[in-house]
Amino acid sequence: MSESVWAGRAGTPRSAGAEARLARNPKLDQWICYWSIPFFYTLFGLIFVLFGRIMPPPSPTASIEDVLEYMQAPKLGVGMALLSLTLGLASLSSGVIVVQMKRMEGISPVLPYAYLTALAVAGVPGCLFPGFVFALGNFRPEYSAQIQQMLYDLGFLSFVGSLGCFVIQYLVFAIAIFLDRRMIFPKWLGYLTIWALVTELVAIPIWITRTGPFAWDGLLSFYLGTVLFVGWEFCMCVCLYRAIKNQPVEELIGRAAAHGE
Amino acid sequence: MWFFVIGDLWIFACYFACYMRDRARNPELFQQGQELLSQGIGALNTVILLTSSLFVALCVQATRAKDIAVASRFLALGSACGAAFMLIKAGEWYLKIHAGFPESTDPFFIYYFMLTGLHMVHVALGLVILALLWRELRGAKEPRAQFAETCATYWHMVDSLWIAIFALVYLVR
Repeated sequence: MSESVWAGRAGTPRSAGAEARLARNPKLDQWICYWSIPFFYTLFGLIFVLFGRIMPPPSPTASIEDVLEYMQAPKLGVGMALLSLTLGLASLSSGVIVVQMKRMEGISPVLPYAYLTALAVAGVPGCLFPGFVFALGNFRPEYSAQIQQMLYDLGFLSFVGSLGCFVIQYLVFAIAIFLDRRMIFPKWLGYLTIWALVTELVAIPIWITRTGPFAWDGLLSFYLGTVLFVGWEFCMCVCLYRAIKNQPVEELIGRAAAHGE
Repeated sequence: MWFFVIGDLWIFACYFACYMRDRARNPELFQQGQELLSQGIGALNTVILLTSSLFVALCVQATRAKDIAVASRFLALGSACGAAFMLIKAGEWYLKIHAGFPESTDPFFIYYFMLTGLHMVHVALGLVILALLWRELRGAKEPRAQFAETCATYWHMVDSLWIAIFALVYLVR
């Protein structure tokens, strides 16, 4: 995608200065997107853990007093407002991942687009929708206790229950890694992706159970999946860093020059 | 592939540990649930899966000996056993659901469906991997024995996971 930005500019006559800047740091755009990832996840962690107290999640069997106290904490509203501002940053990280996926050889060109769309679709129930639901309960404390309870349940069911929506994204990514002949990402990241996929499947029973390891605050449905996700994200960052670093500069400049002709 | 196998076994070890912990907390409930399972179907499936592992092992041996016709025959038999396993498992689920067992609050049945369900996902993935091996055997001029070994490693892992699940969910009293 970044290439197309350069390519678009290359269509018009370019000053020698711009040419030199591109030659000096042709990966600048990718690096900016890359470093937005740690920034994004730090903000994300602050919002979810400190402001929202969504992680670690409170219990599905919490008493109504606890639910009301949770929903009316002033921090929750602030956190959800911040969330709506920061979630868009995820598009930068997806963008740079797709740029690297498009360099793969031997994969179907459908896969990078499928990855991007799957992530965008899953991000709505997994992040934005629960954020709005919590913000709504927080916005009007006069809602009856039952409505507050419903918003609390809906928020957490959407937040944890949407883990299944990420399965296709993981699957597409793993398939792309295994088929890729250029080894843009290492094979072991593909295996790790499959584990992440399997642990997300375990979140399915949260819709029918309120206690035990398969509840939304359960050891298996929440904690195991979350630990694997954090590990996956970390490895993903390392592999993505290497992928951008190892990308031959000629690939970027050559392509821009070819478009400019 | 070994990297994957070891990690996957770790994840399943977490599930088994949780299962045993919950079982120790509520032995009567788990006992009641276990008595409703059919050990016969479980044992039949164990035999089928073990047989499929044998066929896959024979297929690897034949591939090493470059006897591709025999290797593909064993591979077909192994895959057929894997498919039979899935069919029987699906039938067993159908009977259980039809009999109204999965009560939402019964932790034993949630474990039963999750453990066997995750295992089914692994069997399905295994069948895809065996299909890739089939393509290698039929398509490549010189089928790689190492590729066959890698596929077989995964298949044997699926088999060993089932043995653990069968022992824990169906047999332990």
